[in-house]
Amino acid sequence: MTQVGFEDANRHSREEPLTGHELRDIKDAADLYQSGSFKLQIDALLPNVRPKESGREQLDRFLFALHTHCISIPSIEPLNPLAAAKALSKQGVAVPFAFPLPSRDVKWKVAFEPPREICIVGSWGNGITVKKQNGSRFGVDLSVEMPEILFQEKDYLDGRFFHKKSYYLAVLAQSISTAFDVDTFYSSVHGDPRLTSLVLRPRNGSTSHDFFKSHAEVHVIPVLSSLSPLSPSRLFPSHSNVRMPSSSSPPSFPTPIYNNAILLSTYANEALKSTHGLKNVLPAFHDAYTLLRVWANQRGYGDGELCVRGFEGKGSFWAGLLRYLISGEELVGTESGSAKLRKPLGKGLSSYQLFKAALDFLAKQKFGETPVFTKTTNGHRCPPEEYITHHPAVFVDATSTINFLSDVPLTSLDLLSHDAKETLEQLSNPGTCSDTFAECFLKNRFKLSSRFDAVIRVDLSQASRNQSTSALVEYGSSDAALLASISSTLRQGLGNRTQAIAILQPVTPCRPISSAESPSTFTVHIGLIYDPAHAFRLVDHGPSAEDQDSNVAKEFRYLWGSRAELRRFKDGRITESVVWEVTTSDERAHIPVSIVQHLLQLHFGISAKYARTLQTPFDSILRLPDDVRCLHRATGGYKAALTAFDGVVKNLKTLDEQLPLALLNVNPISEYLRYTSTFAPLPIPVSASTELPESLRFLPTIPIILEFEKSSKWPDDLKAIQKIKLAFFEIIAQSLMTSNTGLKASVAIDDSSNPFQGCAALEIFTAEGWSFSAFIWHDREATLLDRIIDPSKMFVGPSNQQYNAREQCEAKVAKELYTRRFIHAPRHHRAIANLCHKYSAYSGTVRLVKRWLAAHWLLQPHVSEEAVEIICALPFVGGKQKSTESAATVPHSKERGFSLVLEFLTDWKWEEPLCLPLYKDDPPAAAPEVWTSNGPDAIVVRRLRAFAKEASKALHNAETKIDIKSLFLHSTDDYDIVIQLNPAVLPRYYQNINAESSVWTRDSHLGMTESTPRPGFDPLPLFLADLQTTFADTLKFFADPLGGDRIGAIWLPGLESPRPFRALAGFSSKPLPKGDKAKDKELVMLNRQAVLDDIGRLGAGLVQKIIVHERM
Amino acid sequence: MSNVPKCLSGFTVIPIAYPSSSHFIYARVHAASKSKTFKPNNVLPEGRTLFLVNVPPDATERELILLFKHCGTVERVLFDLNSTDALAEHASDSDEEMAEAAENPDTEARPRKKRKLQTSEPTPPEVIPLPSSSLRTLRKTGSCAHLIFLDSSSLAKALSSPASPKPWPSSEEPRGLSHYMAKYDNERPPLDAIKAHADSFMERFEFDLSKSKQEAKYRKGEAIMDEDGFTLVTRGGAYGQTLGGGVGVASKKFMLTGQTGSIRKKEKKKEKEVFYAFQKAEKQRKALLDLKKNFEADKERVEKLKESRRFKPY
Repeated sequence: MTQVGFEDANRHSREEPLTGHELRDIKDAADLYQSGSFKLQIDALLPNVRPKESGREQLDRFLFALHTHCISIPSIEPLNPLAAAKALSKQGVAVPFAFPLPSRDVKWKVAFEPPREICIVGSWGNGITVKKQNGSRFGVDLSVEMPEILFQEKDYLDGRFFHKKSYYLAVLAQSISTAFDVDTFYSSVHGDPRLTSLVLRPRNGSTSHDFFKSHAEVHVIPVLSSLSPLSPSRLFPSHSNVRMPSSSSPPSFPTPIYNNAILLSTYANEALKSTHGLKNVLPAFHDAYTLLRVWANQRGYGDGELCVRGFEGKGSFWAGLLRYLISGEELVGTESGSAKLRKPLGKGLSSYQLFKAALDFLAKQKFGETPVFTKTTNGHRCPPEEYITHHPAVFVDATSTINFLSDVPLTSLDLLSHDAKETLEQLSNPGTCSDTFAECFLKNRFKLSSRFDAVIRVDLSQASRNQSTSALVEYGSSDAALLASISSTLRQGLGNRTQAIAILQPVTPCRPISSAESPSTFTVHIGLIYDPAHAFRLVDHGPSAEDQDSNVAKEFRYLWGSRAELRRFKDGRITESVVWEVTTSDERAHIPVSIVQHLLQLHFGISAKYARTLQTPFDSILRLPDDVRCLHRATGGYKAALTAFDGVVKNLKTLDEQLPLALLNVNPISEYLRYTSTFAPLPIPVSASTELPESLRFLPTIPIILEFEKSSKWPDDLKAIQKIKLAFFEIIAQSLMTSNTGLKASVAIDDSSNPFQGCAALEIFTAEGWSFSAFIWHDREATLLDRIIDPSKMFVGPSNQQYNAREQCEAKVAKELYTRRFIHAPRHHRAIANLCHKYSAYSGTVRLVKRWLAAHWLLQPHVSEEAVEIICALPFVGGKQKSTESAATVPHSKERGFSLVLEFLTDWKWEEPLCLPLYKDDPPAAAPEVWTSNGPDAIVVRRLRAFAKEASKALHNAETKIDIKSLFLHSTDDYDIVIQLNPAVLPRYYQNINAESSVWTRDSHLGMTESTPRPGFDPLPLFLADLQTTFADTLKFFADPLGGDRIGAIWLPGLESPRPFRALAGFSSKPLPKGDKAKDKELVMLNRQAVLDDIGRLGAGLVQKIIVHERM
Repeated sequence: MSNVPKCLSGFTVIPIAYPSSSHFIYARVHAASKSKTFKPNNVLPEGRTLFLVNVPPDATERELILLFKHCGTVERVLFDLNSTDALAEHASDSDEEMAEAAENPDTEARPRKKRKLQTSEPTPPEVIPLPSSSLRTLRKTGSCAHLIFLDSSSLAKALSSPASPKPWPSSEEPRGLSHYMAKYDNERPPLDAIKAHADSFMERFEFDLSKSKQEAKYRKGEAIMDEDGFTLVTRGGAYGQTLGGGVGVASKKFMLTGQTGSIRKKEKKKEKEVFYAFQKAEKQRKALLDLKKNFEADKERVEKLKESRRFKPY
């Protein structure tokens, strides 16, 4: 390539030609990775998650010393296990015996012989360690092979092997802790004493064995030598290896997890070799493994602040997964002949391709149904059916000895599949989110509120633990047995309502070697990801009445307890069923959570008090106080508003004969008619209006647009058009009132000085108490306005007409209003209404976000309602055209939607445009600034981001404290001025987040008994707008439009200093006192106190007091 | 208030006592600027006009009159004249009448000038204004006003520094909450008033339209012809008749751009881009260079991100 175009070389002399090598690199990056920059980012990421070279020498020195020490630990004669433990406990070391504990009169004995061999195994042994979450240290796994003479053939029985192993570990712990200057701990994976290992951490500043710099800790794991007398065939899943002396449990039951735990002790060295082999044949293995682990760590499959149940200490699973993908599947002879085998992947794949293949496998694999057997060299060691019948999920390794997933609940595997699906969606549509790489590898997903549709915090200490001994034996600890049972019960109970159920718990902490038992888990978080098609189903059907006595029916009744009942359904079926009674849509959204709460209560005795969610507090944010609803009497709601709207349309259509033009369309353009207003609309009939106290009287006016047939009768003059509209309104109002008793209509004329602007509206006040305001859309207006704005477009007509600058300016304002109201608003309304129908959680999300913005005094006029609706659509539609409700990234509850929007707002780059495919009919290119032209400005966005950051953090903490309201409380400390208004005269006050009922209960009418209802009257925004225009260059005002009773203001910067006097300064000034220097004579400064007095005067009757926050 | 200067850059400082502070109005004799001497035809008579700066934002004419009552009778008060002038100056002066009419079409009576011209013609119908009640107009803070006294002697009195701050007088127009309520009610006049207003306005509009048609140079159905005898063929009007005359043909697009038809849309590429060997080689080379450039740009971007410690996932 370098020879091409020799004579051109001069022209391109600046750019050096590509070498073949470079070219191949670039091509590879684009072909084998998602894109060139993706590859570069991967390259930048990898070194950050791998151990550094520094400190390695120190570590090696320590390991060598440890090796020498362990080899030379003196033997201990065989002893009775309890006596031996007693001897050790005198030295402060406990023996972590597993259940069932050894009794005093056992015949077998424990002993200690120096280990045969000590190896570095695991990921450190292969040099593929990946950094852990939370700054935990790298784990250096040290396998210590226990001599086979310590064991007998029957040691697989009754936990004898584990007891011997525990004793062996305790002796090592005792010896090492005295010989070395390191911190020693026991660590049990999942709190299972059978999987205990010894953890050695460097002490900072220790003199002899400091490996602090390596940022590593040593895990000493006793393993079973391959020469041990324990026969592998006795450890197949179906074998029962624990004989319980008590009669309560069945005489013998298979102990697959127990068996698997013993087999794990033989696995460490095998795994080392297997992974080493893989690393050699597969150049990209190391990178792919790292990517996979980073991905998994970010999602809690591994060690982190919260860990998905079952994935603690499952490092070997990820290597096993890649091994499976590379070497393929082992044949399983099923009844229906051999199943189709999965083809092994090629060995030349890039790391990214391997990573994606692993995700693809995880996303598609149904672990509950299809077992996975990795290709082995010598065929199955144990009949595969044994695994399939005795383990819920099967993933057998290449040696065919262990099942990686023996103790992983199916719910966790569902979650794994779901997460893989989500990431694949993002990777295959790079346009969806702004930064795929960050979503995939860099962002952690520990913010449960934005990851799960519902998060339930369960207090396990309240659970009744009447577990059978068999379960204890099998699972190793009470917690594990309980969680396994919870997991399977919930999975059964929720069925297809959820795509995934996550049980998350904190990682089991290390404990000092003086304590035998692992601390138990107190709280777990249960996260639900709904399947929108089924999640809110009202009835769960069970088996039909005919097979009442079958096992299925019994199981069904057992699962649901008293809630299960025989019911006859409309189609004639009589089945066992569970019916979830709901009265409001809020309650319907709670069904999955109430199922969880019911099941936890029924089966585990955990009352709803100890299994809490944030849903109810969130609901109450959007609901009016009970006494307000009581006073209002009328039942509002979106459905009722839409019905009222339809009624008005019908009434208008019947007027056809009386109107000079036929009415073509009536378009709604209101948030009240598209499910996105914070509060569901409430009608106030005339009769009720006068009885209500002032602070409950707010009645929203719902704007609608009337579209008449085209006609040439309209005058060709803007002012005349407005007057014709007036005449139209008058006719409609008269005829509406004559044809409908109880309906009132009036014409509202805004006293706008802009002659071109359509400032009149027809106000319709229905008998049920709904208020609408109608505008007439006449499309000729746009053309006429354009002609004023740009006279070159005016080629005909009264050519002597000339327009001055002010008129052009006014025309521009009028045109803006025209396009916003008549062109964009109906289109926006349609798009948003569509979204509400398509995504059940969208409406709730918007309502919450609006409430939140309002509560922080940023909604109207700073951020328009429409802009909020568009921003909230982001987590739902992403950036792509085709998205379905079931897509993995789409939230299905308003709480999650809210949390996602907050996260977006936290780092909202408002300078960058936000493009969403909302409008189907038109490209969004048309006037994108329509909804944001009046703000937010830079100040507001900065505040917004700060609030979002705080709220997002608070929401994260709220999972433990369950206090949602604090998210919606606004601190007024950073305002210079806070204007306290009289809540009793604010018709919207009842919507205030902190509304005090005393305001409307006590008779605080101030002597103004207004008999006429004023639909839509709300003085707060009027006052706010007046203040903002009057003091535009002095102050910036903020207020909560939803029932706020305070207005905050900040002085604009740059007004503090004295400045020369000017006639048109635009602020209220006072001359500087005379006493100052002579040259200051001509200077004036801002007259703050006078401005405050002005504000007080302007708001007479509204303002109670003005609080000034002095700051120096 | 004793240490406040009495005068500032030629303005007299008039302190006003507010409930908890003092407000300051700056006053000066109005002096017409030289550049537009001919302009406001004695709207602001020199010698008896007081120029006020920093009038309270909600001041009404009545309140200012009350404030200066002690100096003499006030003829009228004009608010914010300067800003209006500044805007109006851009437009041509011939248009003044129009602007005035546009400013307040509802309440303003017919312009005087026209009335004189039309003495012989039929009198145009009057526009019945919408009912209006007196409401405060809020102005931007720190704005100015012109106060015209009946007598020039009052001016000197007004400019003499007052002994003590005067309280701000108050007229009966409602403020605050009652203002907003009154405004709400005022914006919803009775239906018959609206009908009367709209009908009379349209009558007047029709009248003006027919008059302008009569006065217009071209009549309906007559072609627009220039001196050379060419007929201007225009578009507009309905059913083949233009407003000014002629036959409507030319398309709107033509009127705007001067381009005709969409024949040129399907324009074929004249030359094959890759025909000669050197073109092909060049294209390949360019593609490679672009590739490299993009790659380098990506690299740079990632480097930048790396600096911001972004790639530490946890």
